[in-house]
Amino acid sequence: MKVKYAILTLLVVLSLVLSACGAQSQPSVVRIGWTRDPDSLNIAVAWLTPAYTISGLTYSTMYKLNLDGTFSFDLGTDVKRSDDGLVYTYTIREGVKFHDGIPLTAKDVAFTYNLVMDHTDFPTLHSYVENFASVEAPDDKTVVITLAEAIPNIESKLVYLYIFPEHIWKDHAGKPAPDETATAEPNQAAAFENKDMIGSGPFKMLEYKPGEFIRLGVNKDYYGTVAKVDELVFQVFSSSDVLIQALKTGQVDMVTSVPTTSVESIKSDPNIKVVAGSPLNPDLEDIIFNVVDPKDCPIADGGLCTGHPALRDLQVRLAMAYATDKQKIIDVVLLGLGQPGIGLIPSGLGDWFNSNIRDYDYDVDKANQILDAAGYMDTNGDGIREMPDGSKPLTFHLNYPSSDNSAPRIAELLSEMWKQIGITLEIQAVDSDALTAKCCPALDYDVMIWGWTADPDPNTLLIVPTTDSIPTGYNETGFSNPRYDELYKQQSVELDLKKRHEMVWEMQSIVHENVPYIIPYYAFAVQAYRLDRFTGWQDTATKVSLEDLSSLLNITPIK
Amino acid sequence: MNRWRYLRNKAGWSLFTIIFVVVLNFFLFRVLSGDPARSYHDPRLSPESNKAILVRFGLDKPVINCIKTINPLRFGACNVNPLNTQFFIYVKNLFQGDLGISFYYNRSVSDILKERLWNTILLIGGGQIFSILIGVLLGIFAAWKARTIIDYGALITGLMAWSLPTFWLGIILLFWGSNHGFPIGGKATPGMSSYPFFTQVGDLLWHLLLPTLTYTIIFMGEYMLIMRSSLLDVLAEDYILTAKAKGLSTFQILKDHALKNGMLPLVTIIAINLGYTVAGVIQIESVFSWPGLGGALFEAVGRRDFPMLQGGFLLIAFSVIIANFIADLTYSYLDPRVRTE
Repeated sequence: MKVKYAILTLLVVLSLVLSACGAQSQPSVVRIGWTRDPDSLNIAVAWLTPAYTISGLTYSTMYKLNLDGTFSFDLGTDVKRSDDGLVYTYTIREGVKFHDGIPLTAKDVAFTYNLVMDHTDFPTLHSYVENFASVEAPDDKTVVITLAEAIPNIESKLVYLYIFPEHIWKDHAGKPAPDETATAEPNQAAAFENKDMIGSGPFKMLEYKPGEFIRLGVNKDYYGTVAKVDELVFQVFSSSDVLIQALKTGQVDMVTSVPTTSVESIKSDPNIKVVAGSPLNPDLEDIIFNVVDPKDCPIADGGLCTGHPALRDLQVRLAMAYATDKQKIIDVVLLGLGQPGIGLIPSGLGDWFNSNIRDYDYDVDKANQILDAAGYMDTNGDGIREMPDGSKPLTFHLNYPSSDNSAPRIAELLSEMWKQIGITLEIQAVDSDALTAKCCPALDYDVMIWGWTADPDPNTLLIVPTTDSIPTGYNETGFSNPRYDELYKQQSVELDLKKRHEMVWEMQSIVHENVPYIIPYYAFAVQAYRLDRFTGWQDTATKVSLEDLSSLLNITPIK
Repeated sequence: MNRWRYLRNKAGWSLFTIIFVVVLNFFLFRVLSGDPARSYHDPRLSPESNKAILVRFGLDKPVINCIKTINPLRFGACNVNPLNTQFFIYVKNLFQGDLGISFYYNRSVSDILKERLWNTILLIGGGQIFSILIGVLLGIFAAWKARTIIDYGALITGLMAWSLPTFWLGIILLFWGSNHGFPIGGKATPGMSSYPFFTQVGDLLWHLLLPTLTYTIIFMGEYMLIMRSSLLDVLAEDYILTAKAKGLSTFQILKDHALKNGMLPLVTIIAINLGYTVAGVIQIESVFSWPGLGGALFEAVGRRDFPMLQGGFLLIAFSVIIANFIADLTYSYLDPRVRTE
């Protein structure tokens, strides 16, 4: 027992010493709480959004993405496009320095783009340079990008290509082995941990403790607006309940995500402001139907195509769409913090979202009429309709990944709603990895609840319902429509922005009319910050992202 | 002589178990449904990128001759060089002390495990010591004052402490503590690294206090109950009666006659719990956002991060086996019967 008293005394003394230390020096530190930290500081191999958040603060890019969804120059100052749309000549800023003091020139930009082009093992980054033929830097401020094929959206490709310093990365540029017989080069770029994260962004890496926190310090030599705070701390909390408690007790100043169930409890706190709105990179929750036509079944790639035959009938899917009360799902699952969904392109993508589509109104009678007319009757009187030939009841298996917190409640609600039109669900949660195995390209399911994350450019999500994506596994519904496929190809090379808009809008209408998906909602990003610590958070913009530079470069401490 | 054979026997079994675990670890996780290669499900990923990642992690090679993947079971070529299969590369690397690269973190597994193991030992180590000390003392006291109000009081406290849900107790302490100036989790205050060493240690202890308290309360109950009942058994033996008849004081009876025998079951329990020291107490770690080993392994299961799982489970198995070996050694010291059998 003596030992314990001794330790307690020691603790008390030390805590007094600590608080004394805190009182002396007063750097303004913004403490941000989140539940997940980056999987790697090497953005070339990272997958998670937090890794992109941190990279966005420490690196420069050619363009930056604004909160309203538009792009503006970051490193670039001017661009000239050749008439055929294949050659882009960029002029970049002068006087930009990396965090270690070495100047950033066009050579670093060309080096980075070439590095990414050479590395097929950079999973997401490599996809942004797929159309690039060559990149050169004829002098210190000019970068020439030559494309293999004209594309309409080069801004969205360059916005996540963070510029690495050549003098550091040249020692970590080893390429992977091209095939099984060859050996990989030494100093693999994918194995580089990049702990110092030398970039040229407004913040620089001070300290990284995986699973604990990341400390970023202000870059006083930044070419743009220099932040008015000294440090940012991103601290990991293992659950969102603990995160909210940290905000309430003032141990963090902002949290990047508030669970909807906690919103009411913190709204009443006079020192906390909750912000909800369209997220910067919207997540989609979708109800997915297995609609694959047996002739499209990707048998060579493991396709089983065992879906319920009724789901291949548009009338059944239409009836289910009419019988889905999206507002109720939003009220129950999101406690109202979302808006009804239409298609795979979320409203958060601004002009790309087709706002003309009129969604199916919630109308159970109409849904029942559609099913009656199509011949799906309840012949044995058990409350469940059967196939027109009486062979099979309309009982669908519904699967969702067990890691999804919203899906169980959506599934329960769907089960109630669709029971009213004589359709029953057998609900089962599965491990997301096992769900991938059922999903695609196996197409071994009836109905799933799953999700996508949107890029700023609609192309990423437009590719999903194409016929070519069935064997690769991205087209989870097995949807196939020749007109859609044609439009997809056209829009991905259409340089005229207006024409591309029209095509993208038409594509959304095609998918909406055919109901391979029901998108229950577009969830809001819900974040919160303390009013008594910093002022200047961008909480009235069209999109909510308090961890974005638009807020972090603008906030000032409250004295 | 006998003692040597006993030790050799035990050491042989320990070694055999470790080899068994090495083999089992490799196949166990691959039997789980879900292929790590498929988890890279992203429309942005080109087939070349997907392949490059598989090559990087060695997942393009067959698991072992004739078998390409275990779940789903797919057969492959039998005529490959057996040394160029996933299993033998794993064994070979293991002998070179290389646990591989985590699929998820892209970092060396041994580096990650080292960080996490140290954090877990910090957390559970203190808790073990306190709970053993308090639990054993309370147990002895309760057995000594058997069937008095003190004994019943201690018994009820012990039972309650042991049956408290760890998660619940942790949350209660955390919410109470965070309203009274305690840190709401984590291992250190960010930015502490620029302060003098002793300030950093103080900060660490400050963060450790609540998680250690949670651990101590839960495990103290267990140790107290076992100590009490085992000692009560011993106190009912004839030789204790003899000691009493000789006129020895209660303290002397406890110290010289009862304790050594009464400790035996406790040694077993402590050895088993030492295994936990490495596996971590996932619930405490997750309540207090403690970056320990248990949480890391829990997450690795969901991510099908084979190298992390293999490395982590090997470490746990190794420490449980070593702890048991030490318990066997202690037994042979405490209990002469073990030596002569």
